[in-house]
Amino acid sequence: MLLCYNSYIWVIDMYKILIIEDDLEIRNELKILLDNNGYSGVILDNFDKVKENIISKKADLILLDINIPNINGQHLLKELREEIDTPIIMVTSKNTEIDEVISMSYGADDYITKPYNPNILLLHIEAILKRTNKTNNVLNYKNITLDTSKSMIYHENGEITLSRNEMMIFYYLIKNEGKIVSREDIMNYLWDTEDFIDDNTLTVNIARLRNKLEDAGLTNVIETRRGQGYILI
Amino acid sequence: MKFSDYLKNRFVNIIIYLFLIIITFLLLAAFKVNQSLIFVLISLLIVFIIINFLYDYFRKKNFYDTLTYNIKNLNKKYLISEMIKKPNFIEGQILYDVLYDTTKSMNEHINEYKFSLENFKEYIELWIHEVKTPLAGGLLMLHNNSKSDKKMMEILNKINGYVEQVLYYARSENPEKDFIIKKVNLNSIVKKVVSNNKENFINKKISVKLEDLDVSIYSDPKWLEFIINQIIQNSLKYSKNNDESYVKIYSETKDDIISLIIEDNGIGIDNSDLPRIFDKSFTGKNGHNIDHSTGMGLYICKKLCDKLGTKIEAMSTLNEFTKLIITFKVNNFYDVI
Repeated sequence: MLLCYNSYIWVIDMYKILIIEDDLEIRNELKILLDNNGYSGVILDNFDKVKENIISKKADLILLDINIPNINGQHLLKELREEIDTPIIMVTSKNTEIDEVISMSYGADDYITKPYNPNILLLHIEAILKRTNKTNNVLNYKNITLDTSKSMIYHENGEITLSRNEMMIFYYLIKNEGKIVSREDIMNYLWDTEDFIDDNTLTVNIARLRNKLEDAGLTNVIETRRGQGYILI
Repeated sequence: MKFSDYLKNRFVNIIIYLFLIIITFLLLAAFKVNQSLIFVLISLLIVFIIINFLYDYFRKKNFYDTLTYNIKNLNKKYLISEMIKKPNFIEGQILYDVLYDTTKSMNEHINEYKFSLENFKEYIELWIHEVKTPLAGGLLMLHNNSKSDKKMMEILNKINGYVEQVLYYARSENPEKDFIIKKVNLNSIVKKVVSNNKENFINKKISVKLEDLDVSIYSDPKWLEFIINQIIQNSLKYSKNNDESYVKIYSETKDDIISLIIEDNGIGIDNSDLPRIFDKSFTGKNGHNIDHSTGMGLYICKKLCDKLGTKIEAMSTLNEFTKLIITFKVNNFYDVI
Protein backbone atom coordinates (compact mmCIF):
# COMPACT_ATOMS: atom_id res chain seq x y z
CA MET A 1 0.00 0.00 0.00
CA LEU A 2 1.40 3.34 -1.01
CA LEU A 3 1.06 6.38 1.18
CA CYS A 4 2.09 9.88 0.52
CA TYR A 5 2.87 12.56 3.10
CA ASN A 6 4.33 15.93 2.05
CA SER A 7 6.52 14.77 -0.82
CA TYR A 8 7.94 11.92 1.29
CA ILE A 9 7.00 8.65 -0.27
CA TRP A 10 7.41 5.29 1.32
CA VAL A 11 5.81 1.94 1.30
CA ILE A 12 3.98 0.68 4.32
CA ASP A 13 3.16 -2.98 4.52
CA MET A 14 -0.28 -3.37 5.98
CA TYR A 15 0.19 -6.50 7.95
CA LYS A 16 -2.52 -9.04 7.37
CA ILE A 17 -3.64 -10.69 10.57
CA LEU A 18 -5.81 -13.76 10.39
CA ILE A 19 -8.39 -14.13 13.16
CA ILE A 20 -9.42 -17.70 13.94
CA GLU A 21 -12.14 -17.45 16.54
CA ASP A 22 -15.60 -18.98 16.69
CA ASP A 23 -17.27 -16.31 18.81
CA LEU A 24 -18.93 -13.88 16.41
CA GLU A 25 -18.77 -10.82 18.66
CA ILE A 26 -15.15 -11.28 19.57
CA ARG A 27 -13.96 -11.81 16.04
CA ASN A 28 -15.79 -8.77 14.75
CA GLU A 29 -14.47 -6.61 17.57
CA LEU A 30 -10.97 -7.99 17.04
CA LYS A 31 -11.17 -7.05 13.39
CA ILE A 32 -12.25 -3.51 14.32
CA LEU A 33 -9.42 -3.27 16.85
CA LEU A 34 -6.82 -4.44 14.33
CA ASP A 35 -8.17 -2.27 11.52
CA ASN A 36 -8.16 0.76 13.81
CA ASN A 37 -4.54 0.18 14.63
CA GLY A 38 -3.01 -0.04 11.21
CA TYR A 39 -3.39 -3.73 10.52
CA SER A 40 -5.67 -5.55 8.19
CA GLY A 41 -7.79 -7.99 10.15
CA VAL A 42 -9.08 -10.98 8.23
CA ILE A 43 -11.68 -13.31 9.70
CA LEU A 44 -11.67 -17.00 8.97
CA ASP A 45 -15.33 -17.95 8.82
CA ASN A 46 -15.14 -21.33 7.19
CA PHE A 47 -13.94 -24.00 9.56
CA ASP A 48 -14.02 -26.85 7.01
CA LYS A 49 -10.59 -27.87 5.78
CA VAL A 50 -9.31 -25.39 8.29
CA LYS A 51 -5.62 -26.00 7.70
CA GLU A 52 -5.76 -25.51 3.93
CA ASN A 53 -7.97 -22.49 4.47
CA ILE A 54 -5.52 -20.86 6.82
CA ILE A 55 -2.55 -21.50 4.58
CA SER A 56 -4.34 -20.08 1.55
CA LYS A 57 -4.95 -16.77 3.34
CA LYS A 58 -1.21 -16.09 3.43
CA ALA A 59 -1.44 -13.99 6.59
CA ASP A 60 1.50 -12.28 8.24
CA LEU A 61 0.33 -13.32 11.68
CA ILE A 62 -2.33 -15.67 13.00
CA LEU A 63 -4.44 -15.26 16.13
CA LEU A 64 -5.55 -18.80 16.89
CA ASP A 65 -8.19 -19.64 19.48
CA ILE A 66 -7.60 -22.99 21.16
CA ASN A 67 -11.28 -23.85 21.57
CA ILE A 68 -12.75 -23.88 18.09
CA PRO A 69 -15.65 -26.31 17.81
CA ASN A 70 -14.64 -29.76 16.58
CA ILE A 71 -11.01 -28.76 16.26
CA ASN A 72 -8.21 -29.18 18.73
CA GLY A 73 -6.34 -25.89 18.55
CA GLN A 74 -3.07 -27.36 19.75
CA HIS A 75 -3.29 -30.16 17.22
CA LEU A 76 -4.04 -27.67 14.47
CA LEU A 77 -1.07 -25.60 15.58
CA LYS A 78 1.20 -28.62 15.30
CA GLU A 79 -0.07 -29.38 11.81
CA LEU A 80 0.31 -25.77 10.70
CA ARG A 81 3.86 -25.67 11.96
CA GLU A 82 4.76 -28.54 9.66
CA GLU A 83 3.87 -26.42 6.65
CA ILE A 84 4.22 -22.73 7.42
CA ASP A 85 6.28 -20.58 9.75
CA THR A 86 3.87 -17.67 10.04
CA PRO A 87 3.93 -16.27 13.58
CA ILE A 88 1.05 -17.66 15.61
CA ILE A 89 -0.39 -16.24 18.82
CA MET A 90 -2.56 -18.68 20.74
CA VAL A 91 -5.58 -16.98 22.28
CA THR A 92 -7.44 -18.90 24.94
CA SER A 93 -9.56 -18.75 28.02
CA LYS A 94 -7.64 -21.68 29.49
CA ASN A 95 -5.32 -19.99 31.89
CA THR A 96 -3.02 -22.81 32.88
CA GLU A 97 0.70 -23.22 32.68
CA ILE A 98 0.37 -26.67 31.13
CA ASP A 99 -1.64 -25.37 28.16
CA GLU A 100 0.88 -22.61 27.69
CA VAL A 101 3.84 -24.97 27.79
CA ILE A 102 2.17 -27.34 25.31
CA SER A 103 1.31 -24.51 22.93
CA MET A 104 4.80 -23.07 23.03
CA SER A 105 6.37 -26.47 22.49
CA TYR A 106 4.16 -26.99 19.44
CA GLY A 107 5.59 -23.83 18.00
CA ALA A 108 3.34 -20.96 19.05
CA ASP A 109 5.11 -17.64 19.21
CA ASP A 110 3.02 -16.28 22.04
CA TYR A 111 0.16 -17.20 24.32
CA ILE A 112 -2.50 -14.76 25.47
CA THR A 113 -5.41 -15.48 27.78
CA LYS A 114 -8.91 -14.08 27.63
CA PRO A 115 -10.03 -11.58 28.57
CA TYR A 116 -7.04 -9.75 27.18
CA ASN A 117 -6.24 -6.12 27.52
CA PRO A 118 -6.54 -4.83 23.92
CA ASN A 119 -3.46 -2.61 24.26
CA ILE A 120 -1.41 -5.51 25.51
CA LEU A 121 -2.65 -7.71 22.67
CA LEU A 122 -1.53 -5.02 20.22
CA LEU A 123 1.84 -4.73 21.94
CA HIS A 124 2.35 -8.48 21.68
CA ILE A 125 1.42 -8.45 17.99
CA GLU A 126 3.80 -5.57 17.39
CA ALA A 127 6.63 -7.24 19.26
CA ILE A 128 6.24 -10.48 17.33
CA LEU A 129 6.06 -8.77 13.96
CA LYS A 130 9.18 -6.82 14.85
CA ARG A 131 10.99 -9.97 15.91
CA THR A 132 10.00 -12.12 12.96
CA ASN A 133 9.79 -9.71 10.08
CA LYS A 134 12.76 -7.50 10.63
CA THR A 135 10.44 -4.53 10.25
CA ASN A 136 11.96 -1.15 10.38
CA ASN A 137 11.55 0.53 13.70
CA VAL A 138 11.12 3.83 11.97
CA LEU A 139 8.09 6.08 12.17
CA ASN A 140 7.62 9.24 10.21
CA TYR A 141 5.75 12.37 11.05
CA LYS A 142 5.95 15.25 8.60
CA ASN A 143 9.67 15.71 8.13
CA ILE A 144 10.60 14.12 11.42
CA THR A 145 11.74 10.50 11.62
CA LEU A 146 11.62 8.55 14.87
CA ASP A 147 13.83 5.48 15.14
CA THR A 148 12.53 3.50 18.10
CA SER A 149 15.41 1.02 18.10
CA LYS A 150 17.92 3.80 18.67
CA SER A 151 15.57 6.14 20.52
CA MET A 152 16.53 8.96 18.15
CA ILE A 153 14.72 11.64 16.19
CA TYR A 154 16.16 12.59 12.82
CA HIS A 155 15.13 15.84 11.15
CA GLU A 156 16.38 18.34 8.59
CA ASN A 157 18.74 20.09 10.98
CA GLY A 158 20.19 17.10 12.76
CA GLU A 159 19.23 14.55 15.35
CA ILE A 160 17.88 14.40 18.91
CA THR A 161 18.50 11.70 21.48
CA LEU A 162 15.46 10.81 23.58
CA SER A 163 15.11 9.03 26.89
CA ARG A 164 12.96 5.90 26.88
CA ASN A 165 9.96 7.69 28.36
CA GLU A 166 10.23 10.61 25.97
CA MET A 167 10.54 8.20 23.06
CA MET A 168 7.49 6.19 24.13
CA ILE A 169 5.40 9.34 24.54
CA PHE A 170 6.42 10.66 21.14
CA TYR A 171 5.85 7.24 19.58
CA TYR A 172 2.35 7.09 20.99
CA LEU A 173 1.57 10.61 19.78
CA ILE A 174 2.75 9.79 16.26
CA LYS A 175 0.73 6.57 16.24
CA ASN A 176 -2.35 8.63 17.09
CA GLU A 177 -1.48 11.46 14.77
CA GLY A 178 -4.35 13.90 14.25
CA LYS A 179 -6.24 12.65 17.30
CA ILE A 180 -6.37 14.26 20.70
CA VAL A 181 -4.52 12.10 23.17
CA SER A 182 -5.38 12.57 26.82
CA ARG A 183 -2.79 12.40 29.59
CA GLU A 184 -4.61 9.35 30.82
CA ASP A 185 -4.24 7.63 27.43
CA ILE A 186 -0.49 8.24 27.53
CA MET A 187 -0.27 6.99 31.10
CA ASN A 188 -2.22 3.86 30.19
CA TYR A 189 0.01 3.19 27.22
CA LEU A 190 3.19 3.60 29.26
CA TRP A 191 1.84 1.32 31.98
CA ASP A 192 0.95 -1.29 29.35
CA THR A 193 4.58 -1.23 28.28
CA GLU A 194 5.44 -1.84 31.95
CA ASP A 195 6.74 1.63 32.55
CA PHE A 196 5.02 2.67 35.76
CA ILE A 197 5.36 6.43 35.78
CA ASP A 198 3.28 8.80 37.88
CA ASP A 199 1.55 12.01 36.91
CA ASN A 200 4.47 14.29 37.80
CA THR A 201 6.96 12.25 35.82
CA LEU A 202 4.66 12.45 32.82
CA THR A 203 4.52 16.25 33.10
CA VAL A 204 8.30 16.44 33.37
CA ASN A 205 8.81 14.10 30.42
CA ILE A 206 6.45 15.99 28.15
CA ALA A 207 8.12 19.28 29.05
CA ARG A 208 11.56 17.80 28.32
CA LEU A 209 10.39 16.34 25.02
CA ARG A 210 9.00 19.73 24.00
CA ASN A 211 12.21 21.50 25.02
CA LYS A 212 14.33 19.08 23.02
CA LEU A 213 12.13 19.55 19.97
CA GLU A 214 12.17 23.32 20.34
CA ASP A 215 15.94 23.43 20.84
CA ALA A 216 16.22 21.71 17.50
CA GLY A 217 14.04 24.34 15.93
CA LEU A 218 10.94 22.16 15.77
CA THR A 219 8.43 24.48 17.40
CA ASN A 220 4.83 23.71 18.17
CA VAL A 221 4.99 20.07 17.25
CA ILE A 222 2.98 18.98 20.25
CA GLU A 223 -0.02 21.13 20.87
CA THR A 224 -1.88 21.23 24.17
CA ARG A 225 -5.64 21.16 24.12
CA ARG A 226 -6.73 22.54 27.44
CA GLY A 227 -8.61 20.04 29.51
CA GLN A 228 -8.37 17.37 26.83
CA GLY A 229 -4.79 16.47 26.19
CA TYR A 230 -2.18 16.68 23.46
CA ILE A 231 -2.26 16.44 19.71
CA LEU A 232 0.24 16.27 16.88
CA ILE A 233 -0.91 18.40 13.97
CA MET B 1 -6.12 -54.62 77.08
CA LYS B 2 -4.87 -54.98 80.64
CA PHE B 3 -5.32 -58.27 82.49
CA SER B 4 -6.84 -56.46 85.48
CA ASP B 5 -9.41 -54.80 83.20
CA TYR B 6 -10.15 -58.16 81.70
CA LEU B 7 -10.68 -59.70 85.14
CA LYS B 8 -12.93 -56.83 86.22
CA ASN B 9 -14.96 -57.41 83.10
CA ARG B 10 -15.21 -61.16 84.02
CA PHE B 11 -16.37 -60.38 87.57
CA VAL B 12 -19.56 -62.43 87.28
CA ASN B 13 -17.72 -65.42 85.80
CA ILE B 14 -15.21 -65.32 88.64
CA ILE B 15 -18.00 -65.22 91.24
CA ILE B 16 -19.65 -68.24 89.57
CA TYR B 17 -16.38 -70.15 89.55
CA LEU B 18 -15.81 -69.22 93.22
CA PHE B 19 -19.25 -70.62 94.06
CA LEU B 20 -18.38 -73.76 92.14
CA ILE B 21 -15.16 -74.17 94.13
CA ILE B 22 -16.90 -73.49 97.44
CA ILE B 23 -19.78 -75.86 96.69
CA THR B 24 -17.39 -78.56 95.49
CA PHE B 25 -15.32 -78.09 98.63
CA LEU B 26 -18.38 -78.24 100.91
CA LEU B 27 -19.76 -81.29 99.11
CA LEU B 28 -16.42 -83.12 99.27
CA ALA B 29 -16.07 -82.18 102.95
CA ALA B 30 -19.66 -83.31 103.68
CA PHE B 31 -18.86 -86.73 102.21
CA LYS B 32 -15.75 -86.81 104.41
CA VAL B 33 -13.40 -87.30 101.49
CA ASN B 34 -9.77 -87.53 102.27
CA GLN B 35 -8.32 -84.05 102.91
CA SER B 36 -5.40 -84.40 100.56
CA LEU B 37 -7.74 -85.57 97.82
CA ILE B 38 -9.88 -82.47 98.41
CA PHE B 39 -6.78 -80.33 98.14
CA VAL B 40 -5.70 -81.95 94.89
CA LEU B 41 -9.18 -81.76 93.36
CA ILE B 42 -9.65 -78.08 94.33
CA SER B 43 -6.15 -77.21 93.05
CA LEU B 44 -6.84 -78.93 89.76
CA LEU B 45 -10.10 -77.07 89.45
CA ILE B 46 -8.38 -73.73 90.12
CA VAL B 47 -5.55 -74.45 87.67
CA PHE B 48 -7.98 -75.32 84.89
CA ILE B 49 -10.08 -72.24 85.57
CA ILE B 50 -6.94 -70.09 85.37
CA ILE B 51 -5.86 -71.77 82.13
CA ASN B 52 -9.31 -71.15 80.72
CA PHE B 53 -9.14 -67.45 81.65
CA LEU B 54 -5.61 -67.05 80.31
CA TYR B 55 -6.40 -68.68 77.00
CA ASP B 56 -9.44 -66.51 76.55
CA TYR B 57 -7.55 -63.42 77.66
CA PHE B 58 -4.65 -63.86 75.26
CA ARG B 59 -6.61 -64.56 72.15
CA LYS B 60 -8.80 -61.52 72.79
CA LYS B 61 -5.88 -59.37 73.80
CA ASN B 62 -4.19 -60.22 70.53
CA PHE B 63 -7.16 -59.08 68.47
CA TYR B 64 -8.14 -55.99 70.44
CA ASP B 65 -4.58 -54.75 70.88
CA THR B 66 -4.00 -54.84 67.10
CA LEU B 67 -7.31 -53.07 66.70
CA THR B 68 -6.55 -50.26 69.15
CA TYR B 69 -2.96 -49.93 67.97
CA ASN B 70 -4.08 -49.52 64.37
CA ILE B 71 -6.86 -47.09 65.13
CA LYS B 72 -4.43 -44.92 67.09
CA ASN B 73 -1.79 -44.88 64.36
CA LEU B 74 -3.90 -44.84 61.26
CA ASN B 75 -4.16 -41.56 59.44
CA LYS B 76 -7.30 -42.58 57.68
CA LYS B 77 -9.16 -44.33 60.48
CA TYR B 78 -11.92 -45.50 58.20
CA LEU B 79 -9.51 -48.01 56.68
CA ILE B 80 -9.37 -49.96 59.97
CA SER B 81 -11.19 -53.03 58.70
CA GLU B 82 -8.45 -53.53 56.09
CA MET B 83 -5.84 -53.61 58.82
CA ILE B 84 -7.13 -56.43 61.03
CA LYS B 85 -7.50 -60.17 60.54
CA LYS B 86 -10.76 -61.93 61.16
CA PRO B 87 -10.48 -63.28 64.74
CA ASN B 88 -11.31 -66.84 65.84
CA PHE B 89 -13.84 -65.99 68.56
CA ILE B 90 -17.47 -65.17 68.03
CA GLU B 91 -17.74 -61.60 69.45
CA GLY B 92 -14.69 -60.57 67.47
CA GLN B 93 -16.09 -62.07 64.33
CA ILE B 94 -19.34 -60.19 64.73
CA LEU B 95 -17.43 -56.95 65.35
CA TYR B 96 -15.24 -57.61 62.35
CA ASP B 97 -18.20 -58.21 60.06
CA VAL B 98 -20.00 -55.12 61.32
CA LEU B 99 -16.87 -52.96 60.84
CA TYR B 100 -16.39 -54.35 57.36
CA ASP B 101 -19.94 -53.59 56.32
CA THR B 102 -19.92 -50.10 57.85
CA THR B 103 -16.68 -49.18 56.12
CA LYS B 104 -17.90 -50.48 52.81
CA SER B 105 -21.12 -48.57 52.99
CA MET B 106 -19.33 -45.41 54.15
CA ASN B 107 -16.84 -45.66 51.29
CA GLU B 108 -19.65 -45.96 48.81
CA HIS B 109 -21.27 -42.94 50.36
CA ILE B 110 -18.04 -40.94 50.20
CA ASN B 111 -17.47 -41.95 46.60
CA GLU B 112 -20.85 -40.63 45.69
CA TYR B 113 -19.90 -37.23 47.10
CA LYS B 114 -16.45 -37.36 45.57
CA PHE B 115 -17.97 -38.03 42.22
CA SER B 116 -20.51 -35.26 42.45
CA LEU B 117 -17.86 -32.81 43.72
CA GLU B 118 -15.57 -33.79 40.87
CA ASN B 119 -18.41 -33.20 38.41
CA PHE B 120 -19.13 -29.85 39.98
CA LYS B 121 -15.49 -28.79 39.78
CA GLU B 122 -15.28 -29.84 36.16
CA TYR B 123 -18.38 -27.84 35.41
CA ILE B 124 -17.03 -24.80 37.24
CA GLU B 125 -13.79 -24.91 35.23
CA LEU B 126 -15.73 -25.26 32.02
CA TRP B 127 -18.10 -22.50 32.99
CA ILE B 128 -15.22 -20.14 33.80
CA HIS B 129 -13.70 -20.71 30.38
CA GLU B 130 -17.09 -20.10 28.84
CA VAL B 131 -17.80 -16.91 30.74
CA LYS B 132 -14.42 -15.49 29.82
CA THR B 133 -15.31 -15.36 26.16
CA PRO B 134 -18.19 -12.87 26.55
CA LEU B 135 -16.07 -10.96 29.07
CA ALA B 136 -13.32 -10.65 26.50
CA GLY B 137 -15.91 -9.61 23.93
CA GLY B 138 -17.34 -6.94 26.21
CA LEU B 139 -13.94 -5.48 27.04
CA LEU B 140 -12.95 -5.40 23.37
CA MET B 141 -16.24 -3.75 22.46
CA LEU B 142 -15.72 -1.08 25.10
CA HIS B 143 -12.17 -0.51 23.93
CA ASN B 144 -13.23 -0.12 20.30
CA ASN B 145 -15.98 2.27 21.22
CA SER B 146 -14.32 5.66 20.89
CA LYS B 147 -16.31 7.03 23.81
CA SER B 148 -15.37 4.09 25.93
CA ASP B 149 -17.07 3.91 29.28
CA LYS B 150 -14.48 3.77 32.07
CA LYS B 151 -16.99 2.77 34.72
CA MET B 152 -18.26 -0.10 32.60
CA MET B 153 -14.71 -1.23 31.96
CA GLU B 154 -14.03 -1.17 35.68
CA ILE B 155 -17.11 -3.28 36.33
CA LEU B 156 -16.15 -5.85 33.71
CA ASN B 157 -12.66 -6.04 35.15
CA LYS B 158 -14.15 -6.57 38.58
CA ILE B 159 -16.31 -9.42 37.29
CA ASN B 160 -13.23 -10.94 35.74
CA GLY B 161 -11.45 -10.70 39.08
CA TYR B 162 -14.22 -12.57 40.87
CA VAL B 163 -14.30 -15.21 38.13
CA GLU B 164 -10.56 -15.74 38.56
CA GLN B 165 -11.05 -16.15 42.30
CA VAL B 166 -13.54 -18.97 41.78
CA LEU B 167 -11.21 -20.63 39.29
CA TYR B 168 -8.28 -20.62 41.66
CA TYR B 169 -10.44 -21.70 44.57
CA ALA B 170 -11.49 -24.74 42.55
CA ARG B 171 -7.88 -25.34 41.59
CA SER B 172 -6.61 -25.06 45.13
CA GLU B 173 -8.96 -27.91 46.03
CA ASN B 174 -7.48 -30.35 43.55
CA PRO B 175 -4.08 -29.13 42.66
CA GLU B 176 -2.87 -32.33 41.09
CA LYS B 177 -4.32 -30.86 37.95
CA ASP B 178 -2.65 -28.05 36.07
CA PHE B 179 0.24 -26.90 38.12
CA ILE B 180 3.78 -26.85 36.87
CA ILE B 181 6.84 -25.75 38.76
CA LYS B 182 9.31 -23.90 36.60
CA LYS B 183 11.85 -21.16 36.79
CA VAL B 184 10.13 -17.80 37.14
CA ASN B 185 11.64 -14.37 37.05
CA LEU B 186 10.01 -12.25 39.74
CA ASN B 187 10.54 -9.06 37.78
CA SER B 188 8.50 -10.13 34.76
CA ILE B 189 5.68 -11.57 36.81
CA VAL B 190 5.39 -8.57 39.15
CA LYS B 191 5.45 -6.14 36.23
CA LYS B 192 2.71 -8.08 34.52
CA VAL B 193 0.50 -7.90 37.60
CA VAL B 194 1.15 -4.20 38.18
CA SER B 195 0.37 -3.52 34.53
CA ASN B 196 -2.89 -5.42 34.82
CA ASN B 197 -3.92 -3.18 37.69
CA LYS B 198 -2.90 0.04 35.98
CA GLU B 199 -6.37 1.63 35.98
CA ASN B 200 -6.52 1.39 39.75
CA PHE B 201 -2.98 2.66 40.29
CA ILE B 202 -3.43 5.58 37.90
CA ASN B 203 -6.89 6.60 39.11
CA LYS B 204 -5.97 6.43 42.77
CA LYS B 205 -2.61 8.07 42.08
CA ILE B 206 -0.75 5.39 43.95
CA SER B 207 2.89 5.15 43.00
CA VAL B 208 4.75 1.91 42.37
CA LYS B 209 8.25 1.19 43.56
CA LEU B 210 9.98 -1.93 42.27
CA GLU B 211 13.36 -2.86 43.68
CA ASP B 212 15.75 -5.83 43.44
CA LEU B 213 13.30 -7.96 41.55
CA ASP B 214 15.66 -9.49 39.03
CA VAL B 215 15.80 -12.86 40.74
CA SER B 216 14.45 -16.23 39.71
CA ILE B 217 12.59 -18.71 41.82
CA TYR B 218 10.79 -21.97 41.18
CA SER B 219 7.01 -21.89 41.19
CA ASP B 220 3.96 -22.11 38.98
CA PRO B 221 3.87 -18.74 37.19
CA LYS B 222 0.09 -18.61 36.82
CA TRP B 223 -0.59 -19.42 40.45
CA LEU B 224 2.04 -16.98 41.62
CA GLU B 225 0.55 -14.31 39.38
CA PHE B 226 -2.84 -14.87 40.98
CA ILE B 227 -1.37 -14.67 44.48
CA ILE B 228 0.58 -11.47 43.81
CA ASN B 229 -2.47 -10.00 42.10
CA GLN B 230 -4.67 -10.63 45.16
CA ILE B 231 -2.12 -8.98 47.45
CA ILE B 232 -1.65 -5.95 45.22
CA GLN B 233 -5.40 -5.54 44.88
CA ASN B 234 -5.68 -5.55 48.66
CA SER B 235 -2.98 -2.90 48.85
CA LEU B 236 -4.93 -0.78 46.39
CA LYS B 237 -8.22 -1.38 48.17
CA TYR B 238 -6.93 -0.50 51.62
CA SER B 239 -4.77 2.45 50.63
CA LYS B 240 -5.18 5.81 52.33
CA ASN B 241 -5.56 7.45 48.91
CA ASN B 242 -3.33 10.40 49.59
CA ASP B 243 -0.32 11.86 47.75
CA GLU B 244 2.16 9.69 49.60
CA SER B 245 0.38 6.40 48.94
CA TYR B 246 2.63 3.80 47.45
CA VAL B 247 3.00 0.08 46.88
CA LYS B 248 6.56 -1.13 47.13
CA ILE B 249 7.52 -4.53 45.79
CA TYR B 250 10.99 -5.88 46.41
CA SER B 251 12.88 -9.05 47.13
CA GLU B 252 15.35 -10.06 49.79
CA THR B 253 17.81 -12.93 49.53
CA LYS B 254 19.17 -14.60 52.62
CA ASP B 255 21.26 -17.75 52.18
CA ASP B 256 19.01 -20.10 50.24
CA ILE B 257 15.80 -18.21 50.94
CA ILE B 258 14.29 -15.59 48.68
CA SER B 259 11.42 -13.45 49.96
CA LEU B 260 9.13 -11.39 47.83
CA ILE B 261 7.78 -8.50 49.85
CA ILE B 262 4.79 -6.40 48.93
CA GLU B 263 4.57 -3.39 51.18
CA ASP B 264 2.11 -0.53 51.27
CA ASN B 265 1.52 2.46 53.50
CA GLY B 266 -2.21 1.93 53.65
CA ILE B 267 -4.59 1.74 56.58
CA GLY B 268 -2.89 -1.37 57.98
CA ILE B 269 -4.40 -4.27 59.87
CA ASP B 270 -5.47 -4.29 63.49
CA ASN B 271 -3.21 -6.41 65.68
CA SER B 272 -6.10 -8.55 66.83
CA ASP B 273 -7.10 -9.25 63.22
CA LEU B 274 -3.63 -10.05 61.95
CA PRO B 275 -3.42 -13.75 62.88
CA ARG B 276 -6.72 -14.45 61.20
CA ILE B 277 -6.41 -12.72 57.83
CA PHE B 278 -5.70 -16.00 56.04
CA ASP B 279 -8.79 -17.65 57.52
CA LYS B 280 -11.73 -18.45 55.32
CA SER B 281 -14.38 -15.71 55.14
CA PHE B 282 -12.55 -13.56 57.66
CA THR B 283 -13.11 -9.90 56.92
CA GLY B 284 -11.99 -8.15 60.11
CA LYS B 285 -12.45 -4.50 60.91
CA ASN B 286 -11.15 -3.30 57.55
CA GLY B 287 -13.55 -5.55 55.71
CA HIS B 288 -16.48 -4.08 57.58
CA ASN B 289 -15.37 -0.51 56.94
CA ILE B 290 -14.64 -0.95 53.27
CA ASP B 291 -17.30 -2.72 51.28
CA HIS B 292 -16.95 -5.78 49.08
CA SER B 293 -14.79 -7.92 51.31
CA THR B 294 -15.53 -11.58 50.91
CA GLY B 295 -12.61 -12.75 53.00
CA MET B 296 -11.76 -15.27 50.31
CA GLY B 297 -8.78 -13.66 48.55
CA LEU B 298 -6.06 -14.24 51.12
CA TYR B 299 -7.60 -17.57 52.14
CA ILE B 300 -7.18 -18.86 48.59
CA CYS B 301 -3.66 -17.38 48.45
CA LYS B 302 -2.71 -19.25 51.59
CA LYS B 303 -4.12 -22.50 50.22
CA LEU B 304 -2.26 -22.11 46.96
CA CYS B 305 0.96 -21.26 48.80
CA ASP B 306 0.57 -24.37 50.95
CA LYS B 307 0.23 -26.52 47.85
CA LEU B 308 3.19 -24.84 46.19
CA GLY B 309 5.28 -25.31 49.29
CA THR B 310 5.91 -21.61 49.77
CA LYS B 311 5.32 -19.64 52.91
CA ILE B 312 3.12 -16.57 53.11
CA GLU B 313 2.94 -14.27 56.13
CA ALA B 314 1.82 -10.79 56.99
CA MET B 315 3.16 -7.98 59.12
CA SER B 316 1.34 -4.75 59.83
CA THR B 317 0.99 -1.72 62.05
CA LEU B 318 -2.38 -0.07 62.09
CA ASN B 319 -2.43 3.19 60.12
CA GLU B 320 1.17 2.75 59.06
CA PHE B 321 1.96 -0.14 56.79
CA THR B 322 1.14 -3.67 55.69
CA LYS B 323 3.75 -6.12 54.46
CA LEU B 324 2.95 -9.42 52.81
CA ILE B 325 5.93 -11.72 52.56
CA ILE B 326 6.12 -14.73 50.27
CA THR B 327 9.11 -16.92 50.94
CA PHE B 328 10.65 -19.26 48.39
CA LYS B 329 13.30 -21.80 49.14
CA VAL B 330 16.05 -22.02 46.58
CA ASN B 331 16.45 -25.72 46.32
CA ASN B 332 19.77 -26.96 45.01
CA PHE B 333 17.96 -29.96 43.64
CA TYR B 334 16.55 -27.86 40.82
CA ASP B 335 19.95 -26.58 39.81
CA VAL B 336 21.07 -30.11 39.08
CA ILE B 337 18.28 -30.49 36.55
